[in-house]
Amino acid sequence: MEMADEREEEAKQEVVLVARKGGFGLPTACPVCLPVYCHLRFANVDFKLEFDRANPDSDHIPYVEYGDHVTFNNEKGGVIECLNEDNVVKLDSQLSKDCFPDWASTKVMISTWLAEAVQYELWVSCDNTIADDIYFSDLPWPIGKILHWKQTQAVKQLHGITKLNAAEKEEEIYRKANIAYEALSMKLGSQVFFFEGRPTSVDSLFLGHAVFVLHVLPETSVLRSSLSKHANLLRFVQDCKIRLLEDSYSSATGPAFSSDASSSSIPRRKGSKQNAKTKPKEKRERTEEEKAFRRRAKYFIAAQVVSIVIYLSILGGMGDSGLEDGDEDGLAYEE
Amino acid sequence: MATPSDSEAGPNPKPVEELETESATNDEHHGEDEDEIEDEEEEEEGDDEEEAEEDETPAAQRENINRLFRRLSGGPVRLRVQDIIIRGNTKTKDALIEAEVLDAFRSACSMQELIQAAGLANTRLRQLDIFDSVSITLDSGPSELPGTANVVIDVVEARNPLTGEFGAYSKPEARSWSLEGSLKLKNLFGYGDIWDASGAYGFGQTSEISAGVSLPRFKAISTPLTTRVSLLSQDWLKFSSYKERLLGLSVGLISTGNHDLAYNLTWRNLSDPSHMSSKTIRRQLGHSLLSSLKYTYRIDHRDSNLRPTRGYAFLSTSQFGGLGPDSRIIRFIRQEFDVRGAFPLGFYNAAVNFGVAAGAIMPWGRGFMDSTSPLPERFYMGGHSSPICSLGGPTSLLGFKLRGVGPTDERRAILTKHGEDEATTPSGRIASPGGDAIGGNLAVTAFADLSFDLPLKLFRESGVHGHMFLNTGNVVDLTLAEFKNFSFRGFLETFRSSAGFGIIFPTRFFRMEINYCYILKQLQHDHGKTGIQFSFSTP
Repeated sequence: MEMADEREEEAKQEVVLVARKGGFGLPTACPVCLPVYCHLRFANVDFKLEFDRANPDSDHIPYVEYGDHVTFNNEKGGVIECLNEDNVVKLDSQLSKDCFPDWASTKVMISTWLAEAVQYELWVSCDNTIADDIYFSDLPWPIGKILHWKQTQAVKQLHGITKLNAAEKEEEIYRKANIAYEALSMKLGSQVFFFEGRPTSVDSLFLGHAVFVLHVLPETSVLRSSLSKHANLLRFVQDCKIRLLEDSYSSATGPAFSSDASSSSIPRRKGSKQNAKTKPKEKRERTEEEKAFRRRAKYFIAAQVVSIVIYLSILGGMGDSGLEDGDEDGLAYEE
Repeated sequence: MATPSDSEAGPNPKPVEELETESATNDEHHGEDEDEIEDEEEEEEGDDEEEAEEDETPAAQRENINRLFRRLSGGPVRLRVQDIIIRGNTKTKDALIEAEVLDAFRSACSMQELIQAAGLANTRLRQLDIFDSVSITLDSGPSELPGTANVVIDVVEARNPLTGEFGAYSKPEARSWSLEGSLKLKNLFGYGDIWDASGAYGFGQTSEISAGVSLPRFKAISTPLTTRVSLLSQDWLKFSSYKERLLGLSVGLISTGNHDLAYNLTWRNLSDPSHMSSKTIRRQLGHSLLSSLKYTYRIDHRDSNLRPTRGYAFLSTSQFGGLGPDSRIIRFIRQEFDVRGAFPLGFYNAAVNFGVAAGAIMPWGRGFMDSTSPLPERFYMGGHSSPICSLGGPTSLLGFKLRGVGPTDERRAILTKHGEDEATTPSGRIASPGGDAIGGNLAVTAFADLSFDLPLKLFRESGVHGHMFLNTGNVVDLTLAEFKNFSFRGFLETFRSSAGFGIIFPTRFFRMEINYCYILKQLQHDHGKTGIQFSFSTP
């Protein structure tokens, strides 16, 4: 009983990051969730990674649970802000007053200009398959299609993109992104981190953004080619990636809501460990899943056809017929 | 032998006997037509000559009818149906009317059976709900075919195919009222099709918009076919910290007296705008697709729905979710049983009602041992609806609030700074955020009820009576992985129970109860309350 109580107590105190599912060689492939993941890794917080596969259109993800408390991304400035306020992560609490203005404006630049550019590329300019893989692959097909369309319209509305001004808006978005990259490159210089030689939320936000751009967006992406022009930014990403993301790959204990990436969106109680070699295994599973899907589809269609044929043949035999003529008894109605 | 009741005798030289079974949609005495032969005359107005003729031969007509009665009561009079003639249908297809009445007339081979068949056919046509009146006349057949009769069906199609209803209904257990309105369009295409659109708005809890169509028969399928599309929003924030939004399509495939088979395809979204939900609820928020087949078998041989005094009833509901090749559709199997019985005691019109209900749900598919069943399909117990009237499965437990019994999970704790709130614990968080009802996947309820007449004659005449009751029930969250450790004794020990007495006011449409409930046993997180409670039930 004491052991069970202790385990329960430990379970209550553990930190759990609930994010969108992984892919493209990343523990989580969502551009909103990656910065939070990086922030917890920078802070050396021991946390568990779980996936939410049923809320592609909700802004409360990612969220972090610690004990009975939860911080959602759509509250109080976001998860990173809440983690700082609740002293779960203290990366930003010791910033000096001198670099605070610069730090704040850099953070805003990454959170607005670069985030908008990623949103634009993901939902408007790029192929639909990337967003489908990240957000909708675990939802049934009709729901996924409708939600994808809704999200695309929402992003266009948010940025004021119409058919008439699409080209202008695109140019403006990429111009801001280029300015941001240039400013960040100049700020970083040859340093390891952006501010005070240690990681802060600025590093988390930029690392999350850059990793997504370099790993998820296609090679033809304008954003990707803009980022690639700045060698020191690429160096920063590579160094941090080696330290944070590949470590998490080999030792991640994040239980998924279901053991199968293509299974139902209902979460599991107990998760399974993630495999370090996710990408090739995903391809193998996808092929097997396709085969299983086709086999099940054939059985289902065959069963439906057989049942309909049986049903109609039984009911056809019971179908209406006209009045019978000539009753053999035919006794007349006598007065 | 027959006496012509109509002066317009026509070319047929043989005497005509007209037996009319006539009823309008508002006629409440249609049952009498099956047993009586009414020689009713429908005369044209203002025909003095016809009136004169009628006055001249009433005695002869009475003699003919008396002779007919004697002959019919003496034994079967052989007669069969030669033809069915349908008149008055300008829009309704002949095939529909024929299909409703053919079965009844085909098997009739005597006058007595024909009269019964005419009554049955009349009832079926009225049940289509598309005619203002239906009149069936038995006429003699062709002269060259003795022993035959023609059935003449006169229908008057609904003058106004569009009807509407609007009303306000109270729901005390939810402490809310709802406004409900519906529009019905009848027989648009002449196939007996009834189109309806309805909307309901419950202040604070439920709102629904739906539209549907029902067909009495579809080609070879002789049972009614219904299809309905609905958009429903249900608010469970107070009880379980989530809101439910459904967009669904349901198709009623089979609907007979005892059997009901329906297919349901629903897009469901669970959300928590309050951000206060517990971990169990949080894990189930989001979009999902439900594709399920639901089969219901029901028999109810009780003498009344509002106050049963004898008989029994049985209900079995089986639901299979996950139809389709897509493994991402919600997969579950759900089963409910409900058994009721009633027997009279022989004094003060007293009767004992008793019942047992049980239900279970489990997921299926890959990894089902570790999966959880979907939240909205689980069993929730509580509420003030009476277990007597309707067969509703293991849900009602008088004395406990809606969703007031069963497993719960603690809601989100919110950190506050020290000193801001006196209710905070030393660690700085709110002491009791409350719990979410998360339902269970195994539920059992049982009840016993003794009803009796009250001493006052006024109450007895109006059907108001008293009752004493005893309720018990339990709902647990038992996963398949934990099934090995399930203790039946532990399950029995955690049964909640309540007892009480009250007065019942049955009306035509619902049954109102004023009860005093005493909670005999409840567990820590249950919401039972001893005291006076109102409940409304519909049969």
